[in-house]
Amino acid sequence: MIRTKYIKHSLNSWSILSFIFISLIIFPNLNILMNLINKPNENWTHIKTYLLNDYIINSMILVIFTGILTTIIGISLSWIISAYDFPGRKFFEWGLILPLAIPPYIAAYTYNGILDYTGVIQATLRNHFNIQLSQKYFDIMSMKGSIFIFTIFLFPYVYIITKSFLEKQSAALIENARLLGRSQLEIFIHVVLPISRASIIGGVSLVILEVLNDYGVVKFFGITTFSTAIFKTWFGMGDIDSAVRISAILLLIVFAILLIEKLFRGRKKYSFSNTKFRPITRKELKDVKGILAFLFCFAVFSLGFLIPTLQLAHWSLMTYKKILDIEFWRFTFSSLSIALLSAGLIIIIAIIIANYCRMNDNFLSKLYSKTTAVGYSIPGAVIAIAVIIFFIALDNKLFWLYKLIDKNSSKLVLSTSITMLIFAYIIRFLAIGFNSIESGFEKIGKKFSEASRTLGMNITETFLKVDFKMIKPSIISGFILVFVDILKELPLTLILRPFNFNTLATKSFEYANDEMIHEASVSSLIIIIISIISIYIFNKASDKEAS
Amino acid sequence: MKNKLMKISLSLMLVLALVALAGCQTSQETQAPQEKTEEATENQEKPKNQVVNLYTDRHYETDEELYKMFTEETGIKVNVVKGKSDELIERLAREGADTQADLLITADAGRLFRAKEKELLQSVDNETLFDNIPENLRDEDNQWFGLTVRGRVIVYSKDRVNPSELSTYEDLTSDKWEKKILVRSSSNIYNQSLLASFIAINGEEKAKEWAKGIVKNMARDPEGNDRAQAKAIVAGEGDLAIMNTYYIGKMLNSSDPEEVKVAKSVGVFFPNQDTTGTHINVSGIGLARHAKNSENAIKLMEFLSSEKAQKQFAEANYEYPVNPDVEPSELLKSWGEFKTQDINLSKLGEFNKRAVEIFNEIGWK
Repeated sequence: MIRTKYIKHSLNSWSILSFIFISLIIFPNLNILMNLINKPNENWTHIKTYLLNDYIINSMILVIFTGILTTIIGISLSWIISAYDFPGRKFFEWGLILPLAIPPYIAAYTYNGILDYTGVIQATLRNHFNIQLSQKYFDIMSMKGSIFIFTIFLFPYVYIITKSFLEKQSAALIENARLLGRSQLEIFIHVVLPISRASIIGGVSLVILEVLNDYGVVKFFGITTFSTAIFKTWFGMGDIDSAVRISAILLLIVFAILLIEKLFRGRKKYSFSNTKFRPITRKELKDVKGILAFLFCFAVFSLGFLIPTLQLAHWSLMTYKKILDIEFWRFTFSSLSIALLSAGLIIIIAIIIANYCRMNDNFLSKLYSKTTAVGYSIPGAVIAIAVIIFFIALDNKLFWLYKLIDKNSSKLVLSTSITMLIFAYIIRFLAIGFNSIESGFEKIGKKFSEASRTLGMNITETFLKVDFKMIKPSIISGFILVFVDILKELPLTLILRPFNFNTLATKSFEYANDEMIHEASVSSLIIIIISIISIYIFNKASDKEAS
Repeated sequence: MKNKLMKISLSLMLVLALVALAGCQTSQETQAPQEKTEEATENQEKPKNQVVNLYTDRHYETDEELYKMFTEETGIKVNVVKGKSDELIERLAREGADTQADLLITADAGRLFRAKEKELLQSVDNETLFDNIPENLRDEDNQWFGLTVRGRVIVYSKDRVNPSELSTYEDLTSDKWEKKILVRSSSNIYNQSLLASFIAINGEEKAKEWAKGIVKNMARDPEGNDRAQAKAIVAGEGDLAIMNTYYIGKMLNSSDPEEVKVAKSVGVFFPNQDTTGTHINVSGIGLARHAKNSENAIKLMEFLSSEKAQKQFAEANYEYPVNPDVEPSELLKSWGEFKTQDINLSKLGEFNKRAVEIFNEIGWK
């Protein structure tokens, strides 16, 4: 009797906490959608007549072309890497993930710095070879340029997911096809593409969400998309109502994309219950073919990592003396500490919700696990607007409390503090932490915890003494992923940070936007280095898990 | 067993509370970020704790020297919050009556007007300011005051354009400049204020015609900032660019030798000298509606408009001083004197919205 009472009680506490967190995620975003019902103001008519079309068309062009190109590059690379052997394969296997370490906005201004009239390429051609080419060959600040940037720096999403699928799941099918005498091309088209469709779509939808979330690249290149429009109407025109309205439309588009993804993915499922890891036997590519494979990988690696990093390193050498002052260390420190703190909170919340969902297989738990994913699909600018409205309302409600604590307290306490930013990070990045933890739980199953429960421990004890130790690797990898993402995050941080609060990301972006590209390089380089280290640790950790 | 869970939830609460607390602390810090540097220079004779809190979009080291000078003179500490202009205005609005800000410094009359419209500023009736700052460079209700002046001028390729071919902004729309004009996007406030000035002077119809004519003559779709337009001239993409004067100053003094070369191969032309005058704009200052240290704030306004501060304040950004008793820098003098548009700059704000709408309607990206 006593035991059931305990179980019931702790069940409630886990579920109450889960419920609170989930409501906190849903509420601000619902609020945004509700605004669609309100009557628009006069600005809106103007925006609708002259601007909205542009936002939609530009965003769609970016999404479609980036989607197609990342698919092509992502699949071909993952196929080459997992099915063949050639010089440098081992290096490229993980080297091709590295473009992810460079946030697209940093890539954008770096490439602009390389290519523009006073950049290294044109200056060298002019000064040493006396060659002056038409500017159209160097025009990266355009739609084409942004598609290039997004493609080269986001394709790893497709590459990683497809590669791990091919390596782990496809060996039998592909080897059978080889035995049956199919040519390489036929295998690729008739076997590889169909079976990896789900992972490709999974990867591409991540790419698309990233493109819609981006503010830095499009703002720097002057392309009007939804996220620049939200900033412009909010800060430029001072019209928060219309900004909310634009956000709501973008939110609807995102939901439509997620729905399409579900439909495409859901119809056919190639799930392999056999999780035994068996890699494909790699065919060796000799002579020209091997060289071609090497060159292809090398070209992508250079564009996506080597060239921009070298350029940033060069600029850093030029400017580090000027940049590395106390101020610099201060915002590096605040950048790291806010990322660590938020990542920690996110992992704790993710554990609570994931543990609840695992223990309860009902409608509510399914809803919870879906909701955590929502945040990651919502573009930063939209979350920012949702969070700020929510916090100002909250401050108005809590004003009496502030007064109680401090008579002279101002009305806006939470909404001028860093809490707001951390809250927004949690909404946006909870999905990443949650996925890691959830997959960790899935791997260990329920047997151990059930045994522990039968032996008289409650959920909390079971979690601390049994589950926690077993899912530790997932906790670590989840933490790393979230940490890196927060470190690179731009739009949320730009809008929601308290004043005089800078992070490495906002500082890089501001320098670059003030035409001080060289000065932006040091903080950018630090972001990249930390990302590389994290990716490396993460890769090591998942390799260990796999073997 | 129950205790464990309690402990977990309690510690979670504690973490959240700590976060909130940390947040409050940082926000307090931002209210007095410069205290440390100014402390040493505080004057003993004056009563302590005299401060003025300034929101500014300028980030020049020479400004700090001026604030230091001000503190030495008056014993009033200057606390500075730096940010982007639009964000500063948005923040002021959000903080409402609770704001710590006493003063707002921001570029462009259009923005200052927006701050006024949002009821973030208040009138200042002060003879020193009236003496130091010409009437057309301050708000009609004296809610903001210009501190530095920049012109938006025509920059031309020294190789391909003879300045005698240049005359007016209107002339830029004539057929001879087809595919020759470089200018940045209309989302930029400098272009909005330029068009607003034409609405004020020539009326809406003519202004719209002008904008259409420019779009027709553009060498490429608008991209990049003002500096990028100068680079595009030298790269041969177009012959003429519409730019703010101070960017040429900045490029001439750039740490990148390639930029210096670019700046040296373009010329500055002040249009409409025989007609309506060259478009000018200001970077200005306004007293916050809910300022807590108004007296100190007005003292700082007086100081910044005074002869001794104006030179340094303007030169930091290669701009013209508003105070007519102060001479501009050698570089600016070398470009010669010029006739300016004869309108009150408040008009730029008044017509900003219409200007933005026109840009959108005619498709200036």
